[in-house]
Amino acid sequence: MNTEARDPLHGLAGTFAVCLSVLAVGLTAIFQATAGGTAFTTETLRRTAVEQAPVAVPDYPVVDAQGQTHSLRSLLGKGARVVIVDFVYTRCTTLCLAMGTVFQQLQAQIVEQGLQERVGLLSISFDPLQDQPPALAAYAERMRMQPALWQLVSLRSDADRRRLLDSFGIMVVPAPLGEFEHNAALHIVSPQGQLVRILGPGDGDVSLELARSLAAVPQPSGAQ
Amino acid sequence: MSATAGSVRPVAVATSVAAVLTTLAGMGLSLPPLRVLIEQSMVWHMLVQMPLLVLAGWCAAAAWAPARGLRWNRYGLSGFMLAQCIAAYWMIPALVDRAVVLPSADAAKLATLWLAGLALRLGYVQAPPLVQLFFIGYGLPMMAWLGLYLASTDLRLCNAYSLESQTRAGWGLVGLAAALGMAWLLGHVGKGATRLTGQVIAVDDDFTAARPLVK
Repeated sequence: MNTEARDPLHGLAGTFAVCLSVLAVGLTAIFQATAGGTAFTTETLRRTAVEQAPVAVPDYPVVDAQGQTHSLRSLLGKGARVVIVDFVYTRCTTLCLAMGTVFQQLQAQIVEQGLQERVGLLSISFDPLQDQPPALAAYAERMRMQPALWQLVSLRSDADRRRLLDSFGIMVVPAPLGEFEHNAALHIVSPQGQLVRILGPGDGDVSLELARSLAAVPQPSGAQ
Repeated sequence: MSATAGSVRPVAVATSVAAVLTTLAGMGLSLPPLRVLIEQSMVWHMLVQMPLLVLAGWCAAAAWAPARGLRWNRYGLSGFMLAQCIAAYWMIPALVDRAVVLPSADAAKLATLWLAGLALRLGYVQAPPLVQLFFIGYGLPMMAWLGLYLASTDLRLCNAYSLESQTRAGWGLVGLAAALGMAWLLGHVGKGATRLTGQVIAVDDDFTAARPLVK
């Protein structure tokens, strides 16, 4: 017999060294991919990233319920308003309906607190094929949107839709019964057109508070 | 293909063929026209492609790795450790998403999961049952726990997949963990329960007897 058989620990040092190296590399990789072990889903990563470094919202032509074309930037940087943005499709019967309710509550609160000049709401449809102006108008009616406060727009082209969703980090996936599923959230866009925070659909109150404090900061001679 | 004394062993040939086929199938799922399956279904991604890649690496090690034990892999510790790290990495929902969206992440997934299968096999053959039990005893519950969480939560953890797909994948992971656990147990029942404990003491004798390091 050899020495290995007599001493079970013989030659284990090399194995331990390899194990520790593997573990170190593995943990480093996981640490790096999860923002230091704090974010294990794409959604949390997206929120963390935006919180650390705001993203400029790109500009695309959008159509409103009246069929008029605007530039997205003009809707976002209007006055010194902070805009809370969400993504919807008007046929939705599940999550966006809940988002719609959140936005309805926000609309009521904004009116109640007299914040119309400082906080606005914008719903962007990610379904440009279905959501033509008549569908938008019907949805606006159903949601009792106040046009000065809460706007609903659709994109002109599928390519624009893709790029805008990418810039916000929204993924839309087909779901049963012709529905879509997507990461629903409240996106806070500063008067300068920067996406500064992303909050969960249930954080309506927090988002309004945040939007109000952002809007309260005096802007150097105002945006446009 | 390994040949002993001029004759080709049928088992070795079968394992080699299995290694090639599972590798092709696992990698093929990342390319069109099959890619749409893993893009749309979490079940295809986490319960078909990922296990196939691990199986491919396992078969490759079984078919082509030298039978003698590796010095830096005593008791199979290094192999198990590497496989465990890679498996843990690809169980993170954000990284499953990344593999769907980013081709570079997907390529890394193919390579590392294949490697995980290879490492798992190298660890498994060199590990005494107690070491196997240790790694399997927390690897499989980890998989089952993740599965239960995916199946029971109302949160969509992967932005790339619908909640329905996630629920099905969750139950699938629970089933896979249970099946692997049963397979391992059955494999040892055949050898007798005493061997499980007996071998713990006689670990090194078995280790050196089966795969002599010094001739």
